[in-house]
Amino acid sequence: MEVNNIINAVKSFNQDARHFQILYLSIFLLYGVFGLDWDISATRILVVLGSAIITQFIWIRIVHGKLSALKSALITGLGLCLLLNSASLLTMGLASFLAISSKFILRIKNKHLFNPANFGIIVSIIVFQDAWISPGQWGSSALFLFVLSVLGGIILHKIGRLETTIVFLAALFLMEFGRTVLYQGWGMDVLFHKFSSGTLLLFSFFMITDPMTIPNAKASRIIWALVLAIATFVLSNWMQIYTAPIWVLFAMTPLTVILDKIYPKLKFEWTSNSKKMNLVNSKPKIN
Amino acid sequence: MKTKKIVLTALICLLGLSGRSFCGFYVAKADAKLFNKSSQVILVRDGNRTTVTMSNDFKGDVKDFAMVVPVPTIIGRKDIKIADASVFNKLDAYSGPRLVEYFDQNPCQVNRVYAEHSLDMITTTSVREISAFRKDKAKSLGVTIEAQYKVDEYDILILSAKESNGLKIWLVQNGYKIPAQAEEVLAPYIKNNMKFFVVKVDVEKLDQINGMQNVNKYIDDPVMAKSRNLRPLQITYDSPKFMLPIRLGMANANGEQDMIVYALTKKGRVECTNYRTTKIPTNKNIPLFIKQKFGQFYVDLFDKAHNKADKEAVFLEYAWNVSPQFTGMKCDPCVGPPPIYTDLVKAGADWVLNSNNQVGDPVFFTRLHVRYSRETHPRDLEFQVTPNNEHFQARYILTNPASGDLTCDEGQKYCAKMVKKRAGELEELKTLTSWNTVQYKNYVQEYYDKLDDPRLLYDVEEDKNEIIPITPSNHTDPGLGLKLMIMGSVFITMLIMTLSLRLKRLRMA
Repeated sequence: MEVNNIINAVKSFNQDARHFQILYLSIFLLYGVFGLDWDISATRILVVLGSAIITQFIWIRIVHGKLSALKSALITGLGLCLLLNSASLLTMGLASFLAISSKFILRIKNKHLFNPANFGIIVSIIVFQDAWISPGQWGSSALFLFVLSVLGGIILHKIGRLETTIVFLAALFLMEFGRTVLYQGWGMDVLFHKFSSGTLLLFSFFMITDPMTIPNAKASRIIWALVLAIATFVLSNWMQIYTAPIWVLFAMTPLTVILDKIYPKLKFEWTSNSKKMNLVNSKPKIN
Repeated sequence: MKTKKIVLTALICLLGLSGRSFCGFYVAKADAKLFNKSSQVILVRDGNRTTVTMSNDFKGDVKDFAMVVPVPTIIGRKDIKIADASVFNKLDAYSGPRLVEYFDQNPCQVNRVYAEHSLDMITTTSVREISAFRKDKAKSLGVTIEAQYKVDEYDILILSAKESNGLKIWLVQNGYKIPAQAEEVLAPYIKNNMKFFVVKVDVEKLDQINGMQNVNKYIDDPVMAKSRNLRPLQITYDSPKFMLPIRLGMANANGEQDMIVYALTKKGRVECTNYRTTKIPTNKNIPLFIKQKFGQFYVDLFDKAHNKADKEAVFLEYAWNVSPQFTGMKCDPCVGPPPIYTDLVKAGADWVLNSNNQVGDPVFFTRLHVRYSRETHPRDLEFQVTPNNEHFQARYILTNPASGDLTCDEGQKYCAKMVKKRAGELEELKTLTSWNTVQYKNYVQEYYDKLDDPRLLYDVEEDKNEIIPITPSNHTDPGLGLKLMIMGSVFITMLIMTLSLRLKRLRMA
């Protein structure tokens, strides 16, 4: 039956939160290229995605992992296309290659240390010095931001990491509100403009929620998100680092390791949790 | 005391150590009409050091001129300079949107040449007025005069204020009237511990510099008084912030204002971090008659691009490595002589020559054009220097048709192609500017009439002047060795892991 086939297809799509991530990230990329006239060539997208998938495939063969992990590689590749810029194709391809490889080389206790896209971005900016992030590239189109938050929320709900994003955004919003509006006396429109950055929302919904690189326990995730928000607030307001969250996330890797040690039991509790957890387990189990 | 109205234009902007800061404001006569204002700023960024040069095309009587600029720190005398106004003209002419003209050859007789035209961009017209500075009572209002300098024709004060009300009263007492909208942004800037850089003009000194004091004795002509030119002021400071505060400049603006930013860096392009930076449409084939109205064409093109980008984008109009030592193509077409060492040094990029007067570091030039208003731009403009050294120019292409007899077969084909090409050009014009192009029917008709057999139109394809100049950037990858090394080491790690896993399995077996 055709109807059954469709239902089965939807069901199997629904099985893995990564399918939604791939779909949404692709929509954002198309919006950027066609709606916002981003200066991204098709070649660049092919190089980044190709490099991510091929690298993941090689690593899967090496560690005898599951082929479904290719989906994670695609997510990392899309993330890199959305956040990282470089005039050099070699840098873009290499960022992708290093991002995926970091998952297999830099590991502690069967968990990779860094969010792969975050790792690729930071290494390209610091080491190669010919890459950059354009935090302003999204503009502040209200409709787009609404869609991004709703779609992001659905995915996070599916993978059970919504509280990380909510705590991070709420804490950051409160601090910015206190400083910008209450202390400095700017209007609310200034504050809203700060939070209408597509880069910030993409980061909040798609990067800091990667279950493989953030703490396992809910309590530690909340502490972790608070630290992330405070550090972002300080860096962006006193050091003028407009891409602060991405740097803070990179620097916070040791904290994840420590928090996982402090709350090790909770990891069990979380994984034994209902059907939501099954979805998580099917998430980036990298290899 | 005569009350004068402060008119705020976004001209000069400085960085706050923490938080926002705002642009300088001009003081103008109450009846001054200030619509469609535009301003020009040269921004030079090297590490945390920023040099801002503010163009000063004030057209009224200079004794009416005054300007207040917020600054992050008390600026030392050595960090205030007077720049050469010609630098703005040179940078503008060199980086402005350009029209390139091609000449078709008559196919019935037996290379293409082009000429180019530069576009003088919109100029600023505004009238400003000054009132005398009064230092007394300043203290009691919480306003402190931190420093006082005379820099040629300019009298400069650096003020600090404890609260916005005190500063407002001080300004009012000294003959300035603050528009209500400006007040709301004074407080945030004071909260950030900003100093205020207040400038007026010493008219006698200015006349002395211009050698006019004797002429003034004998000729009393108000027109002459109004034709004095003011030179741009240049200030340098160290601050991690790289931004142009525009909020105060909006206070008295009726709607939108334009600003052209000429940014010079060592590394690459400058882009806005809190608003979208996007390219202006470029390399378009447009009708020949645009040659006479290129100014209007570009104004309308910009207008349409601005509207299409939700009125919030910052447009890139030019990006190029302008280092005098850069051997690649400097421009195509070149609309003016490229800036030379002295121009770049005058603009503030003092690194082009090192202490021994030898060739120093490179200079990358970015021209940004932003049209802003209170509604669409609630925040000051923040920038970053990127390593992007790809070249860009706003370039529009005209085609001069072949002249002479076109009755031969090739000539007829040419005419058919021209019909299609010209129709295409009109459509492009419509897309770019929203002009009603039906009125230019004759432009296409001209070549249609030369066709003996209109059916030929179906047999030819449109011939576009797609000669887009090669815009070379630095193609040699300086980090190539490092990149290959890192890639190699990851491959080696892969190999080692493969072998060790195999070994493990073998042992287990």
